[in-house]
Amino acid sequence: MADRPFQGTKESFWVSNRGTILVVEDERAIMEMLRVGFTYEGYEVIAVQGGREALDRLQEGGVDVVVLDIMLPDVDGFEVCRRIRSRGWDVPILMLTAKKEIEDRVRGLDLGADDYLTKPFSFDELLARVRALLRRSGKKSEAVVLSAGDLMLNVETREVTKGGKPVRLTPTEFALLELFMRHPRRVFTRETLLNRLWGYEYVGDTNVVDVHVSHLRSKIGDRPPRLIRTIYGVGYAFYPET
Amino acid sequence: MRDSFWHSLSLKTRLALLYGGLLAVVLCLLGGVLYLNTRSFLLDATAKRIRAQAKPVIEHWLYPAEFMPPLWGQSPPKTRNSIDLERIASFLARDLTSRDTVALVLDRQGRVLAVGRRLPEEPEAPSPQPFYYRRALAGENEVNYTTWLNRRHLLVLFIPLRWAPGSEEILGVVQLSTLLTPVDKILFRQRLVLIVGIGLALLVGAALGLFLTTSVLGDLTRMVSTCRAIALGNLGQRVNLPHRRDEVGELAQAFDHMVERIEASFAAQKRFVANAAHELRTPVTVLLGSLEVLMRGAQDDPTLSAGLMQNMYREAKGLSRLCEELLDLSRLDLSSHVKKELADLETFFSSYMEKAALLAQGRALSLEKGPSLAAELDLGMLEQMLNNLLDNAVRHTREGDSISLGWNQGDGWLEIWIADGGEGIHSQDLPHIFEPFYQGMRGKEAGGTGLGLTLVKAMVEAHGGRVQVESEPGHGTRFTLFFPLDGPQED
Repeated sequence: MADRPFQGTKESFWVSNRGTILVVEDERAIMEMLRVGFTYEGYEVIAVQGGREALDRLQEGGVDVVVLDIMLPDVDGFEVCRRIRSRGWDVPILMLTAKKEIEDRVRGLDLGADDYLTKPFSFDELLARVRALLRRSGKKSEAVVLSAGDLMLNVETREVTKGGKPVRLTPTEFALLELFMRHPRRVFTRETLLNRLWGYEYVGDTNVVDVHVSHLRSKIGDRPPRLIRTIYGVGYAFYPET
Repeated sequence: MRDSFWHSLSLKTRLALLYGGLLAVVLCLLGGVLYLNTRSFLLDATAKRIRAQAKPVIEHWLYPAEFMPPLWGQSPPKTRNSIDLERIASFLARDLTSRDTVALVLDRQGRVLAVGRRLPEEPEAPSPQPFYYRRALAGENEVNYTTWLNRRHLLVLFIPLRWAPGSEEILGVVQLSTLLTPVDKILFRQRLVLIVGIGLALLVGAALGLFLTTSVLGDLTRMVSTCRAIALGNLGQRVNLPHRRDEVGELAQAFDHMVERIEASFAAQKRFVANAAHELRTPVTVLLGSLEVLMRGAQDDPTLSAGLMQNMYREAKGLSRLCEELLDLSRLDLSSHVKKELADLETFFSSYMEKAALLAQGRALSLEKGPSLAAELDLGMLEQMLNNLLDNAVRHTREGDSISLGWNQGDGWLEIWIADGGEGIHSQDLPHIFEPFYQGMRGKEAGGTGLGLTLVKAMVEAHGGRVQVESEPGHGTRFTLFFPLDGPQED
């Protein structure tokens, strides 16, 4: 399972420059899930519970994408959407609808929403849609070529070179390396790596991760002090500068 | 076999056949009786006419003295020999014979003494049938019968010739035979009229019957097609026969009413399921999304995962509570689940208040005892109802507010009430609070499932009682449960 490309981070993942998301949602539990989820993925999250608050916050600017629930206590999502567009703001809007009814979607899209998701939705799906919206709006461009020392990885051509010489990687090894290079210094446990590369429903021994990491290390000629370091008792992390 | 064939016919055909058959039988019987009656009347009349015509002729030849009394001097002595039948037979026969009637004179032995027929256009006389002849000879006056001779229909009459008028002694018999052509003509016309009339009546009757059965059963056919449409899932269908006020109209009305009720309860059921699914959306979204976030890596950071786990736990708990209440609600549709037992209210409440204290969360709980009273109640349900109402009260009050409960005896009713000094219910919410999943904004935030009050209502109704709510925004709410007091009671 290849991870979608996203921009590299700086020192640590909670300091982000990947984009600011305004989440408008009155269900606290869903809000908490979205806040943690987006924060972990490197976005800055502004959480508001009502439509008026959302409009006030948008006025201040600095929002890259809006995730908007329809059922809100004061002004409903359709109305918020309409007002955003009537004020001439072109920030991308993704609506969360409670109903599957087509009218709802059509109405949302008519009012200027860019995309919609029906509850219950998968977070992965939401994340993919948000990334697509960011990419389309062109506000936050994503790196196509990642590099660390003489190691280069091109996401589009799926080529990896070490000191100018091509390195042949399996899809899993490529995805693993891309994940490491996009999140320098972040410590991944074996379980997380399993989930992200083999899928959430994969059941198996975490040794399989160690096997792939060791193959990857030997293919890119990673010798101590390594780029891919083993964090004892935890997992692996990528350190670009040695 | 024939029976099953009969039952395989449609009701319409069966009714038409029965109706037509009955009509035919009645008409044929009536026609037959009428015809036979006419026939016997006509024959009778003919015989009477001929006898009447014959009477003076016979008397003229047999008893001439009585015709010409004193003018002719002495009347001849009445002796056996004075009537010479053989001598007068030919005159008698001749005079009795006319254009369509021929006479024969027979003596006591049955010999033909004279035949009246002279002209060829006069009909031939049939030979006398001994059976009738003997009856006439025995003194019977009115012996008539019909017979055929040379393809001609004849009426034959016998007239006994008596020694003297009214005498028992009989000299011989006159046979008169007359053509029945005019009678037959009348009877033929009558038959024609009857057959054509019956045929026409049957046709009209059948047409009328068909119209009647069609108009009655046509609506039944319409009901059948409506039923089929409904069976296919189109519950909006109605038979709709407002113009009919008969039994079929009543049936249609009852049917439409039934479908109306079914449609309403179906819609309610659908709404309920939709609402239930809606209630599932949030917890499922939270559980699914949070798990994904955790598995993507947030699990590696305890500060992130702790909040998610708490959320997930809360939502899963809410789901489990929702499940339980849905099950309770589905069970309550059958009021047979109510297991009543005789309970003393004072005993029940004194033990309940201890449990209630655990649910009160810092609210000031008080009990206002009513009259000493025993009632037939399902105590498990009563406790659940009170728990739900108490839970509701706690969620709509702040710490330190008061909640009181108690009971009272009304007119045939046991009233159990619970009142709080909380925020109250907005008047526009008030009519809806017992609807499944109906929640004001505060209720949702406070974590109710939206089924608690619905359950209370269902439970008290399963007891044959009802629930009443009074509320004043800003001052508090009072729920009263009414239970019928039909069981044994004491003071």
